[in-house]
Amino acid sequence: MSEPILEMTDVSKRYRTAGGFGRGRKGFLAVDGVSLHVERGEALGLVGESGSGKSTLARMANGLVVPTSGTVRTDGQDVARLGRRGLRRLRRNVAMVFQDPLASLNPLQTVRQTLENVFRAHGETTSTAELVALLESVGLGADYLGRYPHEASGGQLQRVAVARALALKPDLIIADEPTSALDVSVRAQILNLLADLQRDQGISFLHVSHDLAVIRLYSDRVAVMQRGRIVETGPSDEIFRSPQHPCTRALVEATPEAELPA
Amino acid sequence: MPDPVLQVEDLCVSFTSGGVTADVVRDLSMRLDGGRTLAVVGESGSGKTITGRAIMRLLPRGASARGRIVVAGREMLSADERELRRARGSDVAMVFQDSMSALSPYLDIGAHIAQAVRLHDPSVTRRAARARAVEMLDRVGIPGPADAVRRFPHEFSGGMRQRAVIAMALVNRPALLIADEPTTALDVTVQAQILALLRELQQEYGMAMLLISHDFGVVGSAADDVLVLYAGRQAEYGSLRDIFDHPAHPYTAGLRAATPRLDARLDTGGERTRLRAIPGAPTSLRDAGPGCAFAPRCGLADQVGERCVVEAPLPTVRPTSEGGGLHLAACHLDRLPATQEVAR
Ligand SMILES: Nc1ncnc2c1ncn2[C@@H]1O[C@H](COP(=O)(O)OP(=O)(O)OP(=O)(O)O)[C@@H](O)[C@H]1O
Ligand SMILES: Nc1ncnc2c1ncn2[C@@H]1O[C@H](COP(=O)(O)OP(=O)(O)O)[C@@H](O)[C@H]1O
Ligand code: SF4
Ligand SMILES: [Mg+2]
Ligand SMILES: [Mg+2]
Repeated sequence: MSEPILEMTDVSKRYRTAGGFGRGRKGFLAVDGVSLHVERGEALGLVGESGSGKSTLARMANGLVVPTSGTVRTDGQDVARLGRRGLRRLRRNVAMVFQDPLASLNPLQTVRQTLENVFRAHGETTSTAELVALLESVGLGADYLGRYPHEASGGQLQRVAVARALALKPDLIIADEPTSALDVSVRAQILNLLADLQRDQGISFLHVSHDLAVIRLYSDRVAVMQRGRIVETGPSDEIFRSPQHPCTRALVEATPEAELPA
Repeated sequence: MPDPVLQVEDLCVSFTSGGVTADVVRDLSMRLDGGRTLAVVGESGSGKTITGRAIMRLLPRGASARGRIVVAGREMLSADERELRRARGSDVAMVFQDSMSALSPYLDIGAHIAQAVRLHDPSVTRRAARARAVEMLDRVGIPGPADAVRRFPHEFSGGMRQRAVIAMALVNRPALLIADEPTTALDVTVQAQILALLRELQQEYGMAMLLISHDFGVVGSAADDVLVLYAGRQAEYGSLRDIFDHPAHPYTAGLRAATPRLDARLDTGGERTRLRAIPGAPTSLRDAGPGCAFAPRCGLADQVGERCVVEAPLPTVRPTSEGGGLHLAACHLDRLPATQEVAR
């Protein structure tokens, strides 16, 4: 079997805090000795209550947050040992999509500029045809190239954010609550788009969400976080059919069903 | 039939800016009895919050409402300021999605609740009002209420703050509570607790609840009846069961199909199922044309033809399931096809 696209071993993150309360005296232990991997082509869902450390863990996976201890390997390479060129390659291979598309896009730049900047940052040039193809792959027409963020809806902006993530043909996309800020009818469009990218282009996903129903439908495996630790992992069908850990059970029971009992 | 706690007839709300006036809510009607919950469901911009605010007569600048709103026998649209002050709190109260915006950072939690008590009844002493605050915090499940009244909003977690806001809204026992996305900003576990608390208090006080939400999961666990809004208009109205099991409007059916469910994959043998998305994005009434506002996104518009584009459908009566009550849908189609290719 080939190496996992992402492998985190015993990683911890301690944030320095002013007040000094929380888990432990010296700062706040947001992630506490977590090991996790994402196989090639796999979608791993990460769920847990607010503050359990999901975003911190996700950010360590692409180097946005530096772990206090432990190792992160992407594509078999130890991220801590990467030089400048290696880090740049990491940023190409591992892309990120955030919750709020408006906040993650520069309001003063057109979609064209936003996309061109991604290529420029990696010393590459691009053509209009390439940009149009990129937009088409996320279901947007060429007319979006000239638009500013305020000229598009939330769902359209999230498509632009996904296009930006796809620009450099990443192997892994880390999506932190990519659909939480979107309307219900638009949410499904983006989720289906991400699922297509996984199926058709073999892109792997680390998908963070507080919505268990979304994770159940759109990920192969699930990891459940509680207070900085992973308390349960397994195939998503199994985890939600027979949750073992009390934390998972509480999350499942609290999820309101959009279905009436017969 | 008893007099309803809330009766709305042909409510229209419009905004005027730069000399131009445009409706954002049009021809809404609803009726809500004590002890019952009516959910108002819709996507962003569909007019949910504006409708709640119109009922409170708390509209933003530049907005005006027409039609008729009766809360506990009081005509809200013709009431003067004094009457409105009396109505707010004792007849109708509102809880907002963002609990922080309802609270002043400079006042402790007790002062917020005591203020609500004294605004309603100036003869209550400060001390007595403060005592009511402690009682109320205890009632909404805040541990150590005697100590909690002295805490400031930022010292509370989101869930605790929402409990405090509920205490503030309910301290004068309003006949109607308008809850605008009361759990949207909260964790699922906290959300379940807050919904349970609202249900409990509703039964105890016998109040009517207008529950505004975009989430069918929340609606399914809390509502008796459902009003589905699309672009400021009523798309469908009916009992929870009719809306869930026999939707008559393509938008309602589409929303249901686009909502993920935790049990949805149990019998698929592990095969990935996908949600059926509705193409395009929700519009507001301002941007809608003369026809059905849903037409650009509706997979059934072709079946009906030009009518969908030129004529806005009015709500008409639809079949109900057993004990279902009134069921209305605003769609030119008499019935949805069995296999619902409702979205394009
Ligand atoms: N920069 C920071 N400095 C100090 N503490 C932080 C920082 N970032 C996060 N934390 C704390 O670490 C914990 C985990 O935060 P994280 O954002 O990873 O949680 P999360 O699981 O993503 O939560 P949510 O579901 O609310 O997004 C939280 O208690 C948070 O307050
Ligand atoms: N202060 C305002 N000024 C102008 N238009 C507004 C204002 N508030 C809301 N609107 C418009 O009214 C419509 C309904 O808004 P709202 O009731 O807040 O929707 P919802 O709560 O369903 O998301 C939207 O089209 C919105 O743009
Ligand atoms: S009136 Fe026409 S466009 Fe509107 S929901 Fe019905 S079929 Fe669709
Ligand atoms: Mg987070
Ligand atoms: Mg609103």
